[in-house]
Amino acid sequence: MKVDKTLVASVALHVLVIGWGLVSFSSKAFESAEVESVPVEFVTTDQLSKITAGIKSGKKENPKPLVEKVAEAKPVDDAVGKVTEKTAVTEAAPEPVQKPPEKPVEKKPDPPKPVAENKPKDEPKPVEKKPEPPKDDPIAEALKKDEAKKPVPKPEAKAAPQQPPKPKERTFDQSKIAALLDKRDPTRQSITGSALNSSASLGAPRGTAATMSQSELDALRARLTQLWNVQAGTERPEELIVDIHIRLTPDRRLAAPPEVVSHGSSPRYQAAADAAMRAVLQGQPYDMLRTETYEQWKDMIVTFDPRQMFRS
Amino acid sequence: MPVTPFPLSPLRLTRRDALIGGAASLLLPSLASAQTRLQITEGNVAPIPIAIPNFVAGTPADAEVGVGVTQVITNNLQRSGLFAPIDQAAYIEKIVNIDAAPQFQNWKTINAQALVTGRMTRQGDGRLKAEFRLWDVATAQQLTGQQYFTSPEYWRRIAHIISDQVYERLTGEKGYFDSRVVFVDETGAKERRVKRLALMDQDGANVRYMTRGADLVLTPRFSPSTQEITYMEFGQGDPRVYLLNIETGQREIVGNFPGMSFSPRFSPDGQRVIMSLQQGGNSNLFVMDLRSKSTTRLTDTPAIDTSPCYAPDGTRLCFESDRGGKPQIYVMPAAGGPAQRISFGEGTYSTPVWSPRGDYIAFTKQGGGQFSIGIMKPDGSGERILTSGFHNEGPTFAPNGRVLMFFRDPGGSGGPSLFTVDISGRNELRVPTPGFASDPAWSPLLS
Repeated sequence: MKVDKTLVASVALHVLVIGWGLVSFSSKAFESAEVESVPVEFVTTDQLSKITAGIKSGKKENPKPLVEKVAEAKPVDDAVGKVTEKTAVTEAAPEPVQKPPEKPVEKKPDPPKPVAENKPKDEPKPVEKKPEPPKDDPIAEALKKDEAKKPVPKPEAKAAPQQPPKPKERTFDQSKIAALLDKRDPTRQSITGSALNSSASLGAPRGTAATMSQSELDALRARLTQLWNVQAGTERPEELIVDIHIRLTPDRRLAAPPEVVSHGSSPRYQAAADAAMRAVLQGQPYDMLRTETYEQWKDMIVTFDPRQMFRS
Repeated sequence: MPVTPFPLSPLRLTRRDALIGGAASLLLPSLASAQTRLQITEGNVAPIPIAIPNFVAGTPADAEVGVGVTQVITNNLQRSGLFAPIDQAAYIEKIVNIDAAPQFQNWKTINAQALVTGRMTRQGDGRLKAEFRLWDVATAQQLTGQQYFTSPEYWRRIAHIISDQVYERLTGEKGYFDSRVVFVDETGAKERRVKRLALMDQDGANVRYMTRGADLVLTPRFSPSTQEITYMEFGQGDPRVYLLNIETGQREIVGNFPGMSFSPRFSPDGQRVIMSLQQGGNSNLFVMDLRSKSTTRLTDTPAIDTSPCYAPDGTRLCFESDRGGKPQIYVMPAAGGPAQRISFGEGTYSTPVWSPRGDYIAFTKQGGGQFSIGIMKPDGSGERILTSGFHNEGPTFAPNGRVLMFFRDPGGSGGPSLFTVDISGRNELRVPTPGFASDPAWSPLLS
């Protein structure tokens, strides 16, 4: 059979082009960096105006509880959970603590009844839950109040005076609650960033604990700038860069004498290190720092670098 | 048409999935544990607030010298521009025993960052014992402390030495307070000024006249040994260069050269004097060895080469020359050789002086009707004018190379006065002298 030269040439070229395409386009796909997603909901302008208009007859929105501290380390598997996430809180409410319940699961469908029963039982509970200050109860209760509003039936074993949703069923006795409240003076317990967070980290491999805000850092920088005494007309400022390692207690004071962690041997460096040390010592207490970000500012290295001031 | 659902292919590779799942579970979310780092790139340029209570009197007779020493130290630190002594009226605590730690809270309250305490005690053998301690108020630590023994009449020198110690510890720079200045004291009417060589402490105290004023004297300079001054005097005939021993008062002529000799200066090792000799219409640089009295010519140009000054390491020297047309500053090797011009600005440059630290050359610049004192690096770069006016001239460096002294003649019927300025251009101050004064030269540190 006569071989058609043009056909052969055409096939060969096709194979060449396709082969090259296969080879060159089979490289690893580009990887995109994981970005922490932020929950976003689209709202049109008239929806927005309707929402914000409000309804005169609407019931009072139960404000979300502001949690200031956690009483105990709750075994949350999700390091930063939304306060309003029901599942987390549900499981977190430790069964052992709530065990003594007398609370059958079927309490849920019949909210008003167990309330009366549970009221007296609330008393022994705070006693049992020794490590947990009773002050928690109103907060825990408020949390449970939230859940109670959801129609989804959940296996719950909680005592909860459910008030606003069902005002007719029972009268909410404030004095009984008052009896449960912590009579101690309010104390400020320190919290760690991992326990509380108001923003969800959805899908990202790293959670974000509370980070120091820009204004916090700026205020701290401003305080140290004001106290750092620099000599006029300093020569060779690159020799005078000083790093100071500071550790702070929760009340924003130095936990230990600051250490100079940079190195230098000249007398000028020694004088510069002294001046930086003086600034750090005089800056106490650093009251511009927030309690929530304690993890971030409890251990810092401050670098005093005079080069920008003496650019010739 | 009925749609046939395609069955999903059964899950294969279950073990691999389990592996991946297991590995993924090991990736526990870890919070970034990096230490927070903060950069402070701006500070407060301000003098250090320092408290200097009166020195304690070791014996009742020492009260006066205690107060005197305190005043000298306070004055020195204040004039340096780097310290702000706090008024004694504001002090809360009275120091009575310098061996006990002070109540630092009292000093923190008045915003003192450093505290100097001291004691003067007359000894049995007539000597004076001076002790001092320098404290850091913020860290509540003693930074330095010394004691000195001296003859009672040298109490001012002790105060200067203590000032230097405080200055050095808190700024890291060498001090300059324990030094002297030689200058030309001028008295009388402008047409018939009487000019005498005078010597004083850098703060203006202890003025001594070295010559009687019969002849005109110019350009006095210290030798590195601080005990000799070289200067020019217009005696009988031509001006000559003289050597004067401060302690003995003896004078000798440096060489016997034909013609006029000008602007003498010592070499850093004190063994040679460099000067300019005028012969014919031009002047050239000559070096004379003081022991062998042999002279060496360094320049040989038809121009006027004058005002030479050695670098502190003695390897180079700077001088003024108009070989390029107008007076400019040149640098050349100390043994002689090609000279390199380093001044290139508008105007004429004269009276160059090399800083004892070796990092700057100060000069007088004249241009646009103004006389300015400025500094530049030895390669000619970084030229900076420190003060301008009519008529500033003759800069001389303090021993630490940080402060310049010069004289200013306002013109008119008045006379010149001495001024100091920091090399950053700040803190220009007048130096108190008994009368008019010009041509200052600063000695090295006495200690």
